[in-house]
Amino acid sequence: MRIESEKQLRDYRKKLIEADKKLVKKIMVCHGPGCLASGAEKISAEFEKQLKKKRIKGVSIESVKKTGCHSFCEKSPLVAIEPAQVLYTRVQIRDVAEIIEKSVKGDDVIERLVYHDPKTDEAIEKYPDIPFYKHQTRIALRNLGKINACDIDDYIRVGGYDAAVKAVLHMTPDEVIDEVKKANLRGRGGGGFPAGRKWESCRKIEADVRYVVCNGDEGDPGAFMDRAIMEGDPHTVLEGMIIAAYAIGAKDGYIYVREEYPLAVINLQKAIEQAEAIGLLGDNIMGTSFSLRIHINRGAGAFVCGESSALMMSVAGHVGEPRAKYIRSVQKGLYDQPTVLNNVETYSNVPMIISNGADWFTSIGAPKNSGTKAFSLVGKVRHTGLIEVPMGTTLRTIIYDIGGGIQKDRQFKAVQTGGPSGGCLAEQHLDLSVDFDTLTAHGSMMGSGGMIVMDERTCMVDVAKYFLSFLVSESCGKCIPCREGLYQLYKLAIAISEGRGKEEDIARMERLSDHVVVGSLCGLGKSGPNPFLSTVANFRDEYLAHIVDHKCSAGVCKELIKFEVITEKCDGCMACISACAVNAITGKKKQPHIINQELCTKCGACVAACNRDAIAVF
Amino acid sequence: MNYRFVVKPELCIGCRTCELACSFAHARNGKQGRTRIFALDGGFKDLFVPVTCLQCEDAACAKSCLVNAITRNPETGAMDLDHEKCVRCMACVAACPFGCSLIDEQHELVVKCDLCGGDPACAKFCPTKALEYKPVTVTALRPAI
Amino acid sequence: MVSLTINGKVVRAEEGEYLLAVIRRMGIDVPALCQHEAVEPYGGCRLCMVEITKDSWDGWKKYVTSCLYPVEQDLIVTTHSDKVNDLRRGILDLFLARNPETPLIQKLAADYGLTRTSYEAIPEPNDCILCSICTRVCDAMGFSAISMVNRGHGKEVAPPLHQAPPDCVGCLACAQACPTNYITYEDVGNRRTIWNKQFELLVCDKTGRPTITKEFADYLIKNREIPEDYFRIDDASHREELADKMGRITRWSVTEEAK
Ligand SMILES: Cc1cc2nc3c(=O)[nH]c(=O)nc-3n(C[C@H](O)[C@H](O)[C@H](O)COP(=O)(O)O)c2cc1C
Ligand code: FES
Repeated sequence: MRIESEKQLRDYRKKLIEADKKLVKKIMVCHGPGCLASGAEKISAEFEKQLKKKRIKGVSIESVKKTGCHSFCEKSPLVAIEPAQVLYTRVQIRDVAEIIEKSVKGDDVIERLVYHDPKTDEAIEKYPDIPFYKHQTRIALRNLGKINACDIDDYIRVGGYDAAVKAVLHMTPDEVIDEVKKANLRGRGGGGFPAGRKWESCRKIEADVRYVVCNGDEGDPGAFMDRAIMEGDPHTVLEGMIIAAYAIGAKDGYIYVREEYPLAVINLQKAIEQAEAIGLLGDNIMGTSFSLRIHINRGAGAFVCGESSALMMSVAGHVGEPRAKYIRSVQKGLYDQPTVLNNVETYSNVPMIISNGADWFTSIGAPKNSGTKAFSLVGKVRHTGLIEVPMGTTLRTIIYDIGGGIQKDRQFKAVQTGGPSGGCLAEQHLDLSVDFDTLTAHGSMMGSGGMIVMDERTCMVDVAKYFLSFLVSESCGKCIPCREGLYQLYKLAIAISEGRGKEEDIARMERLSDHVVVGSLCGLGKSGPNPFLSTVANFRDEYLAHIVDHKCSAGVCKELIKFEVITEKCDGCMACISACAVNAITGKKKQPHIINQELCTKCGACVAACNRDAIAVF
Repeated sequence: MNYRFVVKPELCIGCRTCELACSFAHARNGKQGRTRIFALDGGFKDLFVPVTCLQCEDAACAKSCLVNAITRNPETGAMDLDHEKCVRCMACVAACPFGCSLIDEQHELVVKCDLCGGDPACAKFCPTKALEYKPVTVTALRPAI
Repeated sequence: MVSLTINGKVVRAEEGEYLLAVIRRMGIDVPALCQHEAVEPYGGCRLCMVEITKDSWDGWKKYVTSCLYPVEQDLIVTTHSDKVNDLRRGILDLFLARNPETPLIQKLAADYGLTRTSYEAIPEPNDCILCSICTRVCDAMGFSAISMVNRGHGKEVAPPLHQAPPDCVGCLACAQACPTNYITYEDVGNRRTIWNKQFELLVCDKTGRPTITKEFADYLIKNREIPEDYFRIDDASHREELADKMGRITRWSVTEEAK
């Protein structure tokens, strides 16, 4: 079958819905990155195995859906039972039989497996009631956890390809561009450049050949929003690209997928084949003269390849190094042709805008920042995972309501947004609205959506050092401010963390940062000093403590800390003595032990071994 | 008007003024350049032949240049070598069948006759008119070689 | 043609030209270490940065590499503003940390008032300034025998796998184009060694003097249609042969005329 009209698509969807109704129960086994890592595949296999043996009315193997990321990764592996909306967390193989018995065959809820509020220990059965989900609004991630990732029928059933059909058959390219412009969809890959304007300028350039490119490089450490979308809902990416290609007049599209994401490649490839089979991709899409081929490129394994010009170089088969962009890529991009490059999440928003209209989209979010933004919330929050919130949500809501606050009820210290070259925001910024403009104005940035929460035990000098070391090793090395400048900045940060810093170093580093920001060729260098600049702006005292007092209050910088036994607390159990790998601790049984500072490597093993909290860090 | 460089060996007395003139005309940074013209022994008593670039139609120097540093100057008709582009790979020096792409060791450059930008010094200073730069239709020498 | 202002002077330039070319034409000295006419601009050394603005920009200024920035109508360019000079000094300071013993860098840094780096110089420095001219020239020649390998601070120029490069023909273009003479080679008799690869040089039938490598000549014969015969002798012998031939013709025509 080839879909060539809106009616055909609707009729087909009706059939799919009918068929789906026959499944009385569905078991949504999360196959997202986090759950796969904790054995989700074995769990779905076990469900299938057991269901094959049992005969339950209205339930078959078809009921087991291998979905995209359920996003509550901290509690992985996750299994949801639909339509009851029950979410089971940390599911083990041995739980499968019980789930089938009680929740699939019957309608009971296994309390042991549902989410419990960490404070009240109250069990919450339905996932929409869990605070982690309650404060989210899902547009880009709308289908994750709801459909089978590799099944175009599932995608069509929930409204998929409606927007593509509407755009290609009932709208002119200019109308599509206008709608996206009116929706004010800003690029979700970092820069926040309005997608509609990008498409418009590309369309205006005279050329025979144009390209659409999707940036799925996602190099930020800890970020996995794009991965979750490409793996869990590949069709939405394709649909967004079809609409973009139709709008600008492109015949070829490329998806550049990060090297470490083989499953994304497999799922996207399957999705392309499925879409081609029913005439939604390939030649003469929906019987029109519009044709589009989408190709997949495996990334080159470098962070900088996510930068637009480097990415296009890499797609074209060259070394993935950025080029100076005095001539914009909408004019001269891939193979020197006009090119639209957007991020995975940007494309995922497009179908919803076309289906529901720009007004609907702008009604969500903050002024000039319509819609939502997905983040991967990680670090010292209680609940880590993939989240999507309306723009303008405060950091406090994200960290305390969705994230459940800081682990072990420790003190919040900072939140880092924007990936390695983003910035750290402090306590006083918690009520800032999360949107492109506000974050940038306060020395951080949206980036592609990494969000790392830090507690009091995090040293900000160490944080700057960590991100600088990442950037130093990921700099392509083409231009000197980035290659040598970040390296020297890193060296100076090391000196401070080791207590060798001088007070004037801070000013020197600020001046060097300015040179790197102004002098660098691409965005990596231009934003490279951010980890230093934002930490020194918000935590200057901490830098000074390292330099002047040689103190690391977080107890992280090894050169500045000392482990000591608190004599009053030590009961002489000798646990620390056997834990110490370098024999730095001496003492007799039932007598307070002593740490030899010369030998101590500050590994922290003794602290972990002591059950009386008798070893302190100074 | 089509200017050509016309050489009449029968008039050459081997005084090598041309070489000197060329060398001075191509001085750089206060140092004389290597001459691009040579008054050579013609193989017979009292016969000298001034040898310099013939600015060939299908020039081997330009063909051998992989970075396109040698191109025809539309104004002078000379095959000009762009020193800024030249990577001194010596391809043209080896490829020219008349030995007229040369190495200027003083300046560490590959050089060749550029007709002095349209007013060749050698012709100007030749005392016997063995070298002339003048409007012509065909050169007498070309078909013979 | 477009007209723009550079250091207060109005100049005209060809559309599509880069700022650096125009600046150089005016005789203004702007340092540029990664620029070579044989290859496309690269934008790596950042020393050619200039300040640009336009009357319509409301006082907003931008810092761009002039080697890569195409001329624009009404652009106002300043090549040595305080900020630009400070930026160049900052970059040269970084260069000095990387290449503390390289004369070219020392000289340029001195021009900007720096005698030594304010940073810790890297251990075991060499003269490679990573301008990539060698690899780009090698690409332009069509060989691509060497390339930049590794990222970031560990970047270096090298043949594939650090082995004798299979595609190298020993033309020496890389070594000749290297602004700091970091790339070395050795010619002994009719043997040449570069990038640890040995080459045999052709020798002139008459004088016995070496010319170019056999591999390079073969390439030119095959790909550039240069007759094999041309590489038989060196340039001096070619000139002598020409003088001889022309001598005989002259002699013949003079005798004919006398008859
Ligand atoms: C060093 C560097 C790394 C980047 N990495 C990514 C990335 O991993 N994913 C991404 O979508 N954009 C990345 N970007 C941003 C892209 O250059 C580009 O702006 C974006 O893909 C455009 O799409 P958008 O307008 O839809 O956001 C990176 C930029 C820089 C400077
Ligand atoms: S010459 Fe090196 S960046 Fe322009």
